[in-house]
Amino acid sequence: MKISFILNGNDTCIDVAPDKRVIDVLREDLGLTGTKEACGSGECGACTVLSDGETRLSCLMVAAQLQGKNLVTIEGIGSENALHPIQEAFIEHGAVQCGFCTPGMVLSTLALLKTNPSPSREEIREGISGNLCRCTGYQKIVDAISAAAVRMGGQDK
Amino acid sequence: MSNIGRSMPRIDARAKVAGTEKYSVDYYSPNFLWAGVKRAGIPHAVIKGIEVESARKIPGVIDVLTYKDVRGSNRQGVVRKDQPVLADDRVRHCGDALALVIAEDKETINRALEQVVLDYDPLPAVFDPEDALKPDAPLVHEDNRSFFDIMEKLGLKPGSPFVQEDNPEKNLLLKGSLSTGDAKKAFNECNAVVKACFEVPFQEHAYLETEAGWAVLNKEGTLEIVCSTQTPFRDRTEVAEAIGIEQERIRIIAPYCGGAFGGKDGITVQSLLALAALRCPGRPVKMWWNREESFVSSAKRHRARLYYRLGAKPDGRFHALEARIYYDTGPYDHLGGVVMALGLEHSGGPYRIPNTDLKAWSVYTNNPVGGAFRGFGVVQATAAMEQMVDMLAVKLGISPLELRLCNTLKKGDKNPIGVTMTGSTGIEDCLRSLKNTPLWKDRENWKASAGQFKRRGTGIAAVMQGMGYGPVVPDIGNARIELTEDGKFRVYCGVVDMGQGNATTYAQIACEVLNQDISNMELVLPDTSRTLPSGSASASRTTYTFGNAVIGAAEILKERIVNRANELSPDGTGDDMALIPGGVRNVLTGEEISLAEIVVLLDDADRKVTFHFQAPVSNESPSQDPILRLHGVPHVVFSFGAHAACVELDELTGRIEVKKYIAVTDCGRIINPQLFEQQMHGGIAQGIGYALMEELVVEDGVINTRDLATYVIPGAMDIPDMDSVTVDSYEKTGPFGLKGAGEISCNGPLAAIANALADACGVRVFRLPMIPERVLAELHNNK
Amino acid sequence: MRNVFIPETQKDLFDIIADKPEAFLFAGGTDLFVKLRSGLVDAADLVSLERINDLKGVEDNGDEVFIGACTTHSALLADSVIKKHFPVLVKSLMVLGSPQIRNMGTIGGNIITASPAGDALPPLYLLGAEVELKKKYSSRLVSIKDFIKGPGETDLAPGEVLTGVRLRKYPEYNLHHYEKVGQRNSLAISIVSFAAVLNINDAGIIARARFAWGSAGPTVITCEDAEDFLAGRPLSRESLEHAAYLARKAVTPIDDVRASAEYRRQVSGNLILRIEGLLNRSE
Repeated sequence: MKISFILNGNDTCIDVAPDKRVIDVLREDLGLTGTKEACGSGECGACTVLSDGETRLSCLMVAAQLQGKNLVTIEGIGSENALHPIQEAFIEHGAVQCGFCTPGMVLSTLALLKTNPSPSREEIREGISGNLCRCTGYQKIVDAISAAAVRMGGQDK
Repeated sequence: MSNIGRSMPRIDARAKVAGTEKYSVDYYSPNFLWAGVKRAGIPHAVIKGIEVESARKIPGVIDVLTYKDVRGSNRQGVVRKDQPVLADDRVRHCGDALALVIAEDKETINRALEQVVLDYDPLPAVFDPEDALKPDAPLVHEDNRSFFDIMEKLGLKPGSPFVQEDNPEKNLLLKGSLSTGDAKKAFNECNAVVKACFEVPFQEHAYLETEAGWAVLNKEGTLEIVCSTQTPFRDRTEVAEAIGIEQERIRIIAPYCGGAFGGKDGITVQSLLALAALRCPGRPVKMWWNREESFVSSAKRHRARLYYRLGAKPDGRFHALEARIYYDTGPYDHLGGVVMALGLEHSGGPYRIPNTDLKAWSVYTNNPVGGAFRGFGVVQATAAMEQMVDMLAVKLGISPLELRLCNTLKKGDKNPIGVTMTGSTGIEDCLRSLKNTPLWKDRENWKASAGQFKRRGTGIAAVMQGMGYGPVVPDIGNARIELTEDGKFRVYCGVVDMGQGNATTYAQIACEVLNQDISNMELVLPDTSRTLPSGSASASRTTYTFGNAVIGAAEILKERIVNRANELSPDGTGDDMALIPGGVRNVLTGEEISLAEIVVLLDDADRKVTFHFQAPVSNESPSQDPILRLHGVPHVVFSFGAHAACVELDELTGRIEVKKYIAVTDCGRIINPQLFEQQMHGGIAQGIGYALMEELVVEDGVINTRDLATYVIPGAMDIPDMDSVTVDSYEKTGPFGLKGAGEISCNGPLAAIANALADACGVRVFRLPMIPERVLAELHNNK
Repeated sequence: MRNVFIPETQKDLFDIIADKPEAFLFAGGTDLFVKLRSGLVDAADLVSLERINDLKGVEDNGDEVFIGACTTHSALLADSVIKKHFPVLVKSLMVLGSPQIRNMGTIGGNIITASPAGDALPPLYLLGAEVELKKKYSSRLVSIKDFIKGPGETDLAPGEVLTGVRLRKYPEYNLHHYEKVGQRNSLAISIVSFAAVLNINDAGIIARARFAWGSAGPTVITCEDAEDFLAGRPLSRESLEHAAYLARKAVTPIDDVRASAEYRRQVSGNLILRIEGLLNRSE
């Protein structure tokens, strides 16, 4: 089935089975392996993408749903040479260990800061409560997001 | 400014945060075949046949392999080789691999797996380590071939002490006995004695990147395997023997792991990928265990039952300790003996105890495989011992912190297994430092501030963790550094970075010795064709051992470069040249020559250095048992810590929340404070999960919690802000004074939280984790 | 390979259903796709409801509010009418799943899934929710307690679609409470959940109390005995403890991998006691 949508700002057209999982479309058909799978059942958030500006779990979406959507993956947030302030903050604050949860965390952070530009630490924890991390204990991720919020124009809380 | 003590940002962070770093799971190609495994699904049976013909016929299936297709020994394992690649005689746990399907795509794999049928005779199974030792217990391994292999390796004959010809204790993987003084007599001399039995559960690693990799037999006949592993070099040896291919023909490449924590310390997908690749020469084959398969097949933290008895004199001096620890190791060795040995070694904690009687068993059962998991046997022992100390404190009417200070080890003391603490021993400093923290000083206010239906308490735990492999297995690192033709320093990392950031530390160490900026460093990640064998990414050894090797190599390379530069300078002497970022400078004249220029003047042998480092070992022998010694007893370098947790209990639901946590640690000199803190935070979080919510529910060998919905690990709202503090310490054998930090932080939370709970409401839960249901039941019993 | 239909109007939806009666409908997919993966459900064709705009949205109709079945939990949490009139529902949605799951999951989905642990269900029972069920040419309204029949079982007839939920406003309630007990603080299936709405007068007397429990029986459990007992009594530890005792007799929990029936029973009662402290805090 031919599906047209906007992917990371670019018009994209793919031809895949309509019931193929979006996570598989991204990783297998589009070569975008930044979005990760860690559970396949919506429990971990590693597969988080932005669809029309909202975070969604790509392991629980099928290709047909992409039609006409505006999809953003981690690859669309920033590149190694031009990182988003959130990504800079993650590096600076030691929020990356094994890194497998990181893309999902960054996307959830983006969504959080859009609706709440100056979140408290508690609100940050709530904002990333759908993203599991096994390495960091979350604290440095919260530190990074706090700092990113300030950098992006929010107030220091 | 010195690099040591600087929080240099991780070199891998940029690619990871941009989503461009490729993990083992991230390789795809239209040319890839897929492989998948049929798992047994039953705990114990005789295999009569494995029907694969119908699966083979499915369009898109290349082949379905069974043990008949394994040319080598079909046995893998680090110490004892008792685990089949594909089950041949018996099924010994539900996760046993029966057949390997190779197909064009994932969907076909799943359809084919459904068609594979096991023809079997069920066998009575055993699910408890104490039951498994009884004379009437079913045997998990009928022949003890792997045990006799070890005896042979150690040059032991049947009939020698510690070895019986026919293991009279059934299902025994390993047992160990360590003692000092006369504990039996000493208990009669104690004024206060406490005794308890603790049951701690299996814990799932739950790394986000599940087991995965891909392999291809290329046209040169090399089998190339890319996989998520902590042990590429050791894997190579195991795969070669199990599959029946020369080791030299195997190349294993280990990208960054998406988490491992011990679960990838050994064979997971490697042999299976090798089999598949050999079957389809020239075609790359990929395997990726989904989460449920990872749960069913992978090794777990050993479930254990610990019987403890601790006695003291009226002034609080520990006088007698008896411990009996049973580790449920599942059906395969999988480092289960080493785990037991380390737990046994740590069973008395960081204290002086003159009379001890310590025994441990690692026992085969038909439960899931018990294997390596951060903390490695010590987590279980600490969970018990640190609660015993608090129980004794209550009995004696002494503060738990003072009681520990009264007994804590100092350098030069003998520890509970009778071994002298020869390395840096900072536990007392940790406890004194903890005593001065606001968290500790404020504990009465914390307790008094509990709201309605809440109770608050504070609890502490003293922790220690021995580093490395013990006195027999060499703990080695081989670092190779070269000055490249572009004038960059390339460090060949022999040890995997599974997320702990050791790659960054190696670069940082090299920068320090060579006086370079990180931008002038290149790292080659572990690859058996390019880097050198340097042991496993485990045992809190990676920065200590490989870091020392990097220092050695860097020092030599620095000297060569400086000497060469010196030869070029007509008037200079040896002392005038110094490495600077990107070059060499004559400190007298200010003249500089870039590294790119100098490298041309070095021949190949000069610009490449290899340095071999072997970690020191203890020269004491607390036991005459050569098998126990082989398994790691005793260690010689230990890290220490003191943890405290402030908890809040909800009386209506039994839920415990950790509201504050502090870890004071002695890991020697800290090279990168941010990386160190990362390790502390991560280990504490895993420990909190272990204490409060992570329970792998296993019933008759079947895992009932086999996904992340039913096996819950902590989320961002479950872990508080944690404080990590270090004490001033220096381990002279460590790189720049460092000691291992990878595991120790896991050891504290369970006991600290349990002690805090007892402080809050006088209740203890002896069957862990402290899930709300158990806490509520104890609260009721206590009323 | 399955077909995936994504109609944009109710008419198109009903045409597809007529043509493919075996197709599985989904809104957020957070339930269906998990079941498809685990093999609990085997679907040939899928129908997504997410682009049917007139199945979304909140309509304030004076005494009542109508919520389109495909309104996501996030949309409800952001809606001023919902926030103003149904705080008990808001509290339950706040602890449902995770931010991503709230963006995808819908109120209709939560109802149709009819899990005994469905987070929004106890509040919906208390709010006298009625579900609107439509066939191509007909529609009916059924009270939620008659609609949900058992775990995963509803009164949905073949060819029928749940199109919306009607909630009554209850301005008389001045205390709204929801508590979920899970194994962790988010991404948790509830072990026990408790919703309560009360009308407490200035003298601290309970004029009316209504309670509902989730994960304490095959469907949401209510306890008229406890409610009747409390009517006219002061909001005190004593009266709440007796209500708790009555509640423990009303719930019918089971043992499962997350908790035992006994624990659920005990806690179902205990959670009533929490109300005592709420009077001193703002809602």
